[in-house]
Amino acid sequence: MSSPTVSHKPWQSGDHEKNTAVSTKVEGRGLTRGQRRTVTFYLFISPWLLGFIFLTTIPMLLGFLTSFTNYEGLSIANLRFVGLTNYVRAFTADPEVGFSLGRTLLWGLFNLPTWLILSFAMALILNQNVRGQGFFRTLYYLPSVVPVVAAITAWKVILDKNAGWLNGIIDLFIPGTAIGWLSDYAMPGMTMIAVWTGLGTAMVIFLAGLQNIPDELVEAARIDGANSFQIFRYITLPLMTPVIFLQLVMGLIGVFQQLNLPLVLTQVGISTGAVPPRQIYLYMIHVYRQIFISSRWGYGIALLWLLFIGVFVLTLIVFWTEKYWVYSDRPEEGR
Amino acid sequence: MDYALRARLAKRFYRFLSYTLLIGVAIIIIMPLAAMATTSIKQMSEYNVWPINILPRVPQWSNYAAVFEMAPYLKVALRTAALGIIVTIIVTASSSLIGFAFARYPVKGSKPLFFIVVGLMIIPYIVVLIPQFVMYSRLHLTNTYWPWIFGAIAGNSFYIFLFRQFFLSFPRELEDAAEVDGAGPFRIFWQIFLPNAKPVIAAVMIFAFSYIWGDYMTPLILLNDDKTLLSVKIATSYSNPQGVWLITIALAANLIYMLPLVIVFFLAQKHILKGVVTSGLKG
Repeated sequence: MSSPTVSHKPWQSGDHEKNTAVSTKVEGRGLTRGQRRTVTFYLFISPWLLGFIFLTTIPMLLGFLTSFTNYEGLSIANLRFVGLTNYVRAFTADPEVGFSLGRTLLWGLFNLPTWLILSFAMALILNQNVRGQGFFRTLYYLPSVVPVVAAITAWKVILDKNAGWLNGIIDLFIPGTAIGWLSDYAMPGMTMIAVWTGLGTAMVIFLAGLQNIPDELVEAARIDGANSFQIFRYITLPLMTPVIFLQLVMGLIGVFQQLNLPLVLTQVGISTGAVPPRQIYLYMIHVYRQIFISSRWGYGIALLWLLFIGVFVLTLIVFWTEKYWVYSDRPEEGR
Repeated sequence: MDYALRARLAKRFYRFLSYTLLIGVAIIIIMPLAAMATTSIKQMSEYNVWPINILPRVPQWSNYAAVFEMAPYLKVALRTAALGIIVTIIVTASSSLIGFAFARYPVKGSKPLFFIVVGLMIIPYIVVLIPQFVMYSRLHLTNTYWPWIFGAIAGNSFYIFLFRQFFLSFPRELEDAAEVDGAGPFRIFWQIFLPNAKPVIAAVMIFAFSYIWGDYMTPLILLNDDKTLLSVKIATSYSNPQGVWLITIALAANLIYMLPLVIVFFLAQKHILKGVVTSGLKG
C-alpha cells in the first residue's frame, strides 16, 4: 500500500482494527464485556438520542401534521384539518412560490460558481510557492469570523446607491454611476457579500486538499513530460473532485435555505417587517413571510416540507452523478 | 535555449498573474472592513457626501460613546456572552462524550446512528427550527433561553463529528491499559481522552461561542426585544427620533461587536482552520 492519502486512512483502519478486536475480546471474556460496551455506548450517546427524538423528529412530525391544518400560530381554538389544501395552494394559487423559487435558482446560478471557482483558484495560487502564503490565507479567512449582521452593515457602506464606495469607484470611470446594489441589482450585490463571507472556508479546505496530493505523483508526471496544464487537468483536478463534490453538496443545500442574508440585508437599520427587494425575494423569504408576517403557519410549514423534499431529491441526484465525475480510491474497486 | 527562455517568460507571467490576483482579492476582502472602520468615525452628514471622502475630516470618536448611550449595549452584550459561555461549555461536554462513544464503542447500531448524525447536517436548519418554534411556543418556552440549553445538551452533529475523528486516532493500548487498572469508561474518557483533545476542544469551543454570538435567526424567532441577543439588538437599534438609521454609529457598534471574534481568530487560528479542514475533507 503506497497510498499516501493520509487524511482518512487512520479513521478507516482504526474502525476495522477495533471491530476485530471487539469480537476476539468477546470470545475471550464471555459476552458480558460486549454487553457492557453496548450499554456504555447508548448511555453516552443518550443526550444526542434524546435530542434527536425530541428536538428533531417530534418537531418535524408535528410540523408535518401542522402542514395539513390552518394553524395560525397563537390559539388552537379554531384549528382545522384542511387536508392537502396548503400543498395544492402552493402549486396552483400562489404565484409567489414559483417566482421566489426562480429567484432562488438564479441566486444559486450567481453564487455557487462564483464562490467555488474563486475559492478554488485562490487555493491553487496559494498552493504554489508564493510569498506571504500564511498572510493571505489568514486574510481571506478573516471574513468568515465576522458575524452576519456586522458583515452586512459593513457592506452597506460599499453597496449604497448614493454614497457607496463601489459606485464611487465605478464613477471614476463612468461618471454619473448610481447602481442600486441593494435594490434593483440586489442579486449581484448579495452575491458579493456571500462570496466575501464564504471564500475563506472553502479556500482553506481546498488548500488542505491540494496539499494532500502526493508530490511524487506530480514529479513523476513532470518527468514523463507533462506540462503544468496537463498536470492540473489529469492529476490535480481528478484528485480534488471528492473535495469539490462535498463543497458543492453543502453549497447547494445552502442555496435553497438561504434566508439569513436577504433577511438581515432587509432588516438591518430598517425594520423587522420590511419586505426584501423583488430581486432577492428568495423561496425562504416567502416562507418566512407566510409564517411570521401573515401568520399562515400551516401553509408556511407545507412550503418548508416542499423545500425539504426538493433539497433531498436534488441531493440524491447530485450523489447519483458522483460516480461519473468524482475520483474514488476505495480499495474494493481495485487498484 | 529558445525553449528555456519561453518557459522562463511563461513562468514570470504566471507569477505576475498570481500576485495580481492575490493582491486584488486581498483588496476586496479588506475594503468593507476598511470602509467600516473609517465610516464609524464619520459624522452622519459626512456619510452622504459625493464624491466620497475616505477619511473623516474630524474623527468622531463620540460615535463609540453613542453606541453605549443609544442602546443598552453592555447589558445585552453581557447577556449574550453569558448565554454563549454556558451553551459552549454544555455543548462541548456533551459533543465530546458522544463523539467519544462513536469513536471507541463500535457496537451494534453505532454505524447507522452515526450516519444519522452526519445526515442531520444536510437537513436545512430552518426546516427544523420553525417546527421547533411551534413546539416551544406550545410549551411556553419561547422568550426563554431553554431552547439553547436543550439544544446544547443534545450536542451538535458537526462537533460530534470533529471529536469522533480525533478520538479515532488514539491507540487502543491506552484504553486497554487503563481498563486493566480498573478505570471505568467515563474515567477513561475524562482522564485520558479529554486531556489529550485540547486542540479539538479549543476549536469546538470557538465554533460554538462564535455561533451563538453571531446567530441572528434563532434570537429573532425565539426571543422578544426584552430578552433578545446582541445580533438582533444591534441590527434594530441606532435610529434617531425621526427614524433615520445612523449607520455611522451602527458601524461603530458592529466593530465592537465583532472584535472579540476577530481577536480569538488571530489567537487560535491554527485550531480553527484545522477544524474547518476536518469538516471539509473527511465528511
